[in-house]
Amino acid sequence: MKLLRAEFQNFRLLRDLELDFSCDPNRKLTVIRAANESGKTTVLHGLQWALYGDSALPDKGNGFRLHPIDWDVSDGRRVPITATVEFEVTSHRQAGKELRETRRRYRLVRSAFEDVDSAARRSASTVKLFALNDSGATPVNAPESLINDELPPELRDVFFTDGDRALSFIEADVALSTKRGRVQRAIRSLLGLGVIDDAIRHVNKAAAEVNRKAKRIGADSELKEVASRLEIQERQREKLELDLEDAKQQFASFDEKVNVVDRKIEATLQKGDREKLATDLERAQKEIGRLNKQLSVANKEHSGLFRSQSIATDLLAPMFTAAFGKLEELHDQGKIPSTTIPVLHDRLDAEVCICGETLKPGQPEGDTRRAHIQKLIKDNQRADEIREVITDLYYSAKPLQGEGSGTSSIWLEEYASVVERRDDIQELRDEAGRKLRALENQLDSLPDTDIQGLRATRNQYKSQRDNYLTKQSTIETQLASLKRDIEDLEAKRDRLLKEQKRGTRILAERDVIQDVMKVLRSAYERITNEELGKVSELMNHIFLEKIGADPEQGAIIRRAEISQEFDIIVYGPRDRTLNPDRDLNGASRRALTLAFILALTKVSQVEAPNVIDTPLGMTSGFVKRSILRTAVRESAQLILFLTQDEIAGCEEIIDKVGGKIFTLTNPALYPKILVNDPGVADRKVLRCECNHREDCRLCQLHSDAQVELAS
Amino acid sequence: MADRYFNPFQAIDINVPVQFHEAFERYCQRGANAVIDQSPFPRMVDLWFLSVCVAARLKLEPADVVKSKTVKIIDGSIFSSDPWRIHTLMLIAIGNTGDVQIVSEPRKMMTLANGLAVAGLPKVVEMLKDGDAEPIWNLSDAMDTLLRKEQVA
Repeated sequence: MKLLRAEFQNFRLLRDLELDFSCDPNRKLTVIRAANESGKTTVLHGLQWALYGDSALPDKGNGFRLHPIDWDVSDGRRVPITATVEFEVTSHRQAGKELRETRRRYRLVRSAFEDVDSAARRSASTVKLFALNDSGATPVNAPESLINDELPPELRDVFFTDGDRALSFIEADVALSTKRGRVQRAIRSLLGLGVIDDAIRHVNKAAAEVNRKAKRIGADSELKEVASRLEIQERQREKLELDLEDAKQQFASFDEKVNVVDRKIEATLQKGDREKLATDLERAQKEIGRLNKQLSVANKEHSGLFRSQSIATDLLAPMFTAAFGKLEELHDQGKIPSTTIPVLHDRLDAEVCICGETLKPGQPEGDTRRAHIQKLIKDNQRADEIREVITDLYYSAKPLQGEGSGTSSIWLEEYASVVERRDDIQELRDEAGRKLRALENQLDSLPDTDIQGLRATRNQYKSQRDNYLTKQSTIETQLASLKRDIEDLEAKRDRLLKEQKRGTRILAERDVIQDVMKVLRSAYERITNEELGKVSELMNHIFLEKIGADPEQGAIIRRAEISQEFDIIVYGPRDRTLNPDRDLNGASRRALTLAFILALTKVSQVEAPNVIDTPLGMTSGFVKRSILRTAVRESAQLILFLTQDEIAGCEEIIDKVGGKIFTLTNPALYPKILVNDPGVADRKVLRCECNHREDCRLCQLHSDAQVELAS
Repeated sequence: MADRYFNPFQAIDINVPVQFHEAFERYCQRGANAVIDQSPFPRMVDLWFLSVCVAARLKLEPADVVKSKTVKIIDGSIFSSDPWRIHTLMLIAIGNTGDVQIVSEPRKMMTLANGLAVAGLPKVVEMLKDGDAEPIWNLSDAMDTLLRKEQVA
């Protein structure tokens, strides 16, 4: 089976969306590029709902609203929801010596009505299947059976999965029995062992019939009583077995719920708690404030360059040369400096005249001489005013003369230094700004998760899970005891039967039934083990190829296998077992689980699509490309939902094998993630034809948003 | 030291033709929140003084301001805080006239400097505008080019 097209109306965010998928065997990859929160998971749910109905939805659809959350009630209080999937089924039949291939196309339409209220009650969905041919569409009866044949519901998780969910086959946090059960169910479902299961059930019924016959011939004898007791105990066993199966399923279900809540708690804690983020935010804001101040100082320094002495000296160097030339001439001619007044001042200060006579104040000769000298100073001041100004200029303006007189520029050096400082601080400021935005986004994206509440829920689930485990053990003990009783009663019944005339015949029938049962059980085990080996081998091959070039993991991983107990085991050097969930890095864990899924699909020889959401998260470099290449090669049809970050580095592979590539955008991501306002009032996913290398007005993301989303 | 130097321009107002008033308003920082990259000059005197220097550097003829309608932009007392500018104006006057006696005539020196400023202002405004960046970067680039050109020459 290959998916051709899908169409959704009013399915959550998918108000009106059409998707088409590549069926070209040479370009079997369809890439649906979408940022986080752009409807990837919704499309995955929509496809599964179309094919399998409510049972494919989370919690089997209970309390799971399907209509758009912002549905306008003026458009009606009951929302029509429709999902359409077109697919192609290829069958082969022997026509003489030739194997003839036939391809048939179908359209599956599922619809339901849902009330617009908090309960979101909806009618049971109606599903119709049409065979498509040249003359139109012919209704096909019993659509479910065709779907169940082509895409067994037990394998839903194999065909429709996301990178994280795929890890459920190996995750450490769930019980070993749960993991085993998942692997076992996946393998047995894919290998079509349901037929043998049915046969075993049928033979069991025949065994019960033997007892009824024994009861009938027993008349009022002891045999009748034993057979009756046996019948009661068989019924009890059947009931206990059903109870046991139910307890196991409930245990697995609550185990999964515990795990989901654990992941939520972990994710919330990983994103950081609000308090810590708020502290980080405050710190980042302070850092920005500090850098803003530095930047302001640097800007002022830059501005100061245009009022500096250096720019004047550099610009005026030629002019100064001429001016200083004039001053030097005067200096050489002895016209400057004007030394008279300073010398006379010196003498007055020293209180001794040049001739050696005293100039001490308070003495008659001294006072007379001082008065004379002060008069001389006054006379010189008036006459020598210009000379003084020039002298002052000559000495004071020396620093303006500079050293290189035009051969080097102080201003240019200062300018280079200021620019460097400005650029450095600006870079730090930009980085701090990005950091702040990332923190703000992180804070915004923090769900208003009440960690305490989550922990309480987790404990409730855990308590229920443990109850079912206890119940399981109790039933198993009861069953073991009952089995012994049944065996005793059967032995007694058989002994009594031998004493009866018609007993021999009934015993012969019993022997035949037991033989058939043995054959069936051994066939069941053999097929399981043989096919298990094939899946194990292929998984190992794909896995090692995927991680082959990862030196970090290549050094510690030797091989992987699925054990007879349905455990996925990874071996390191000297056959030491590694814990896939703890000893493998994120990329290798993804590679391992995807290898398991691809191997299962391949060994089953079921031609089915693999629809995988974010398969390349946590991977990079060669391993990422290798995972993509191998997945394309091993899959009959590969439909991947990829973020831009996952695409990065894989563009050339997608160029080669991508048959259909388009982009989904959620307008609600504007303005935080999207650059442009899509101008759409409703919350709905929009499609554009941009491929993995293109952006348009609708799908263009902020460059830093890509990084933040990826992180 | 400032005590020893008197400011000969203390009582002289500086007036420029009214058409340049807008340039002073635009490129000089007005108030604490001025955007430095758009208005690179801390004070009006800085733009005026740079224009004097640029005109002297480019050997432009001093403009005749007398016939123009002018507006006062600077009070001469401002030079008291930057004695080196007083000396620079004197040196420009000596260099330009070849007469050292001019230092005793502050008004004459200022008329010459202001003529140079008015001649240099259009050039500086052109430097501020010419480029794709903010005025401070355009001016920086132009100044860099001007000084390097002369260095090479």
